[in-house]
Amino acid sequence: MKAAPGIERRGFNAWLARRIPPSTRITLSQVNIFIFPTRSGFIFGVLLLTLLVGAINYQNSLVYALVFMLSSIFLITILHTFRNLSGLSLEVCEVRSGFVGEDIEFSVRVERSKGEGREGIEIGWPGGYKQSVELFDEQATTVRLYLNAHARGWLIPGRLLVETCYPLGLLRAWTWVDLKAQGLIFPKPIFDQSHNSTLSGQRDDGVLVDPLGSDDFVDLREYVPGDPIKNILWPTYARTGELAVKRYASYLEPRLWFDFAELPGDAEEKLSRLAGLAISATQSEREFGARLPQLEIAPGIGEMHLNAFLRELALYGHPR
Amino acid sequence: MAIQGSPLAQVLAYQIPRNSLALLMVAQLVVLAPLVIHVSPWIVGVYLVCGLWRWQVYVGRWNYPVGAVKSLLVIAAVVGLFFSGFQSYSLEAGTSLLVLAFALKLLEMKKYRDAYLVIYLSYFLIAIAFLFDQSLLLTCYAMFSLIVVTAAMVGMNQRQAKVRPAASLRLAAILIGQAIPLTLVLFLLFPRAAPLWSIPLPSAATTGISDRLTPGDIANLIQSDDIAFRVMFEGNVPPQRELYWRGLVYSQFADGTWTMNKNAKPQVSLGRQGRGTAYDVFLEPTQSKWLFTLDTPVEYGRRQQLLSDFRLVNADPVLSVLRYRIVSDATKILDPSIDDALRASETVLPAKDNPRLRAYATEIYERSGRNASLMANVLLTEIRKSPFHYTLKPPQLSPINSIDEFWFDQQKGFCTHYAGAFVFALRAVGIPARVVGGYQGGEINPVTGHFVVRQFDAHAWAEVWLEGSGWTRYDPTNAVAPARVERGLRAALSNSDRTSLSFLTVARLDDQSLFGSTLKFIDSLEHLWNLSVVGYDVAAQADLLTKLLGRVTPVRVGSALFVGGGISVLLVVGVLFFRRRHAARNAAEQVFQNFCAQLARQGYDRAIHETPAEYISRLGTIAQINPKPLILQLHAHLYDPEFESNRKALSELRKEFRKLRFKLAFSTTVQAS
Repeated sequence: MKAAPGIERRGFNAWLARRIPPSTRITLSQVNIFIFPTRSGFIFGVLLLTLLVGAINYQNSLVYALVFMLSSIFLITILHTFRNLSGLSLEVCEVRSGFVGEDIEFSVRVERSKGEGREGIEIGWPGGYKQSVELFDEQATTVRLYLNAHARGWLIPGRLLVETCYPLGLLRAWTWVDLKAQGLIFPKPIFDQSHNSTLSGQRDDGVLVDPLGSDDFVDLREYVPGDPIKNILWPTYARTGELAVKRYASYLEPRLWFDFAELPGDAEEKLSRLAGLAISATQSEREFGARLPQLEIAPGIGEMHLNAFLRELALYGHPR
Repeated sequence: MAIQGSPLAQVLAYQIPRNSLALLMVAQLVVLAPLVIHVSPWIVGVYLVCGLWRWQVYVGRWNYPVGAVKSLLVIAAVVGLFFSGFQSYSLEAGTSLLVLAFALKLLEMKKYRDAYLVIYLSYFLIAIAFLFDQSLLLTCYAMFSLIVVTAAMVGMNQRQAKVRPAASLRLAAILIGQAIPLTLVLFLLFPRAAPLWSIPLPSAATTGISDRLTPGDIANLIQSDDIAFRVMFEGNVPPQRELYWRGLVYSQFADGTWTMNKNAKPQVSLGRQGRGTAYDVFLEPTQSKWLFTLDTPVEYGRRQQLLSDFRLVNADPVLSVLRYRIVSDATKILDPSIDDALRASETVLPAKDNPRLRAYATEIYERSGRNASLMANVLLTEIRKSPFHYTLKPPQLSPINSIDEFWFDQQKGFCTHYAGAFVFALRAVGIPARVVGGYQGGEINPVTGHFVVRQFDAHAWAEVWLEGSGWTRYDPTNAVAPARVERGLRAALSNSDRTSLSFLTVARLDDQSLFGSTLKFIDSLEHLWNLSVVGYDVAAQADLLTKLLGRVTPVRVGSALFVGGGISVLLVVGVLFFRRRHAARNAAEQVFQNFCAQLARQGYDRAIHETPAEYISRLGTIAQINPKPLILQLHAHLYDPEFESNRKALSELRKEFRKLRFKLAFSTTVQAS
């Protein structure tokens, strides 16, 4: 797991894991919200002390009253700041996959309990940008968070920071929640035309796929119900009374086999090249498979196959 | 709504939201307004220029000043402050410096931190305004300022695109409202302490009696209707003519001016014997240490001290309304015997001024058989019989022989003239005598029953030392204008004097008018304010704690604070978190719940096992109507989460339930009859 900066201490993480166990949906309450004065809050405290000394030295009841009023506001603000987070439910609703180096989008659904609206909430992973959230008229909203992917495999962003300094900025309520979010990161594709051409020479036998939809005439065969009428060879029928259909053939380009061992570079670069080849092959609608050490990816074609293929590459060598 | 995270959003996060910036500038204006009269006008000008500049930046017309311009402004401001003629260590100088910093900060208010600095300074300035004035009016205004400043702080944390100053203000008001119970607990119970170190004082520009007395002085005071102090008597109020509020004793005379004897030594308390008059004084700030009491204080607080001339002084200058409790005993004999040093200091006169009065004094001293008491009475008779006039506008006198001129030529004067001449004549023949300054009388406020003593009640009289009876009070003014002492200033003033007074003073003097009685009502509010809030000091707190806790120990006070604070916070917790616990699922359920509650009061409780349908059926049977349509109607809406928005159906549902309720009420009456 990629630890978030700021919470790198092992003991703290272990304590946090016990305090706020990972869960796909977490509702914030007094169990998992922390609260502490901000820097502004401490300066506010200094202001209060200064005013208190003034009240004492001038023996001024109203300055005393002002000090007490401001202190009370500070204390009451603890409740307000806490309430701004309390009752929020968070869950990750969608994670897009992506390539190494891309910003990966995590959609986090934030739902509030009934009652007052929420504002001035910031959500984000320590490494990424924070998003402001406010919930007034609506009950829930979806926040899109982006995190840059540095390595292939599962991107586990770790604990999500949810914080607010609302309403006065004197106190900060925050929590670290682990929503068990993970995004799949494919190797960054490398497109290399020269290799593509040499590899395309590694042909397999072509396969006859669609006998009826092509142009090249091959032979005749007996009619089978369902054959297109326009393919029936009518002169033969007129002569013999037997229905015969013309057969056309189209040979697919032979399927491509990508071989890990034959690609240049180190293992990660080879995976990147494989990803590039797979994408190129899909774009040119070719069938492809790959051989990797201890893994053979069966040939296939289309977007689905590409995704499965990339997934294999992403997780290659990683514990499943 | 989520705002996309971009580098721009990150930068914006550290900028002051526009929403808050406008509020912040308004808050500055609001906070500065009550301080304007205490700082130099040019400082207000600097603020306005900076404010205009910042506003132009806000609307995008101008740019922030460059560094050189800012430095120039700061230097100019410091130089300006230096040449403004403030006393170096006065409250006004400090306030001016803060206001200048406040104004200049406007020009570089860009970031979050800058805004918070301005907000904290604003709170500070609210406190400073209290050092100059503690009136109820200013406190109400301060509450308003507090809301605006807090709203600016709320705005700093509302980062949405929408500008919603009303929402910020509302939340600030809610926060302050919720903080009030806790504030009260802290105000009442938080232990007060004695001053820690000496502090810059406001320059003594307040009106009031001073430690030097020239004949014209008190006549000027009469122009002011400012309050000197308020008094609450416990038990019987002494008659008006006995209300001599003694404050200052003038024992030295030179060049027509009486000055106070600065060398009066502290003396031990006289001790209370038998009965006395107990009263609480709420003294308005004088920036001086002297206090005003009736003759003669025998019991007073620990921070007060009696001096050898029987004046009472406070430990510190009186900077805010000071409450002190006194027991006075008028029967006390002051200085039954007098030593040579005191006799010398209380008879000393300049070598040879006012020769005519000296000669005259010697003559009547001989005539009265060298008897001090007789001599004093002869002088009073002289004032009464000769054509002396009591007037606020006495003619100008020469400084050297002013008393001669007054006594023999003009014969028009005010209390200071009469008291001064009286004491001079006695001292001229070696009888110890001194001028006493303070206030005489006061008016009772019928609303709260307290006495108000104003600056126009300022008065000067004389004390003469007599063998056997000690220092004895003589009021020569009483001889020329008995009404002044018996019935107050109003009765003693001629019409021409009255026209010279301000409108407000005249209104206050005339208690018959509606305006006068309104002023009295306002004054009674101010008095209650002083009584309960401004005058709530260490002693008042000790009283309250004793009443509340029996014995005042740190543990008890701590527990009381904890319990009181806990309750106040729990109240807010209740409001914030548990208000909606039993809230209905939607408006239809709410209508039904209200209906059930109303019918329970009519005697048709809903049984715990009854579904809404069963309940309505039962009621329908009693009311002899078909319940089906209503049940269907209710069920149609009961689980509709969007029902709130369906106003028409909601009002129809309400109407149907109301119909049923009236039917039931009617059937009850029918059954009963």
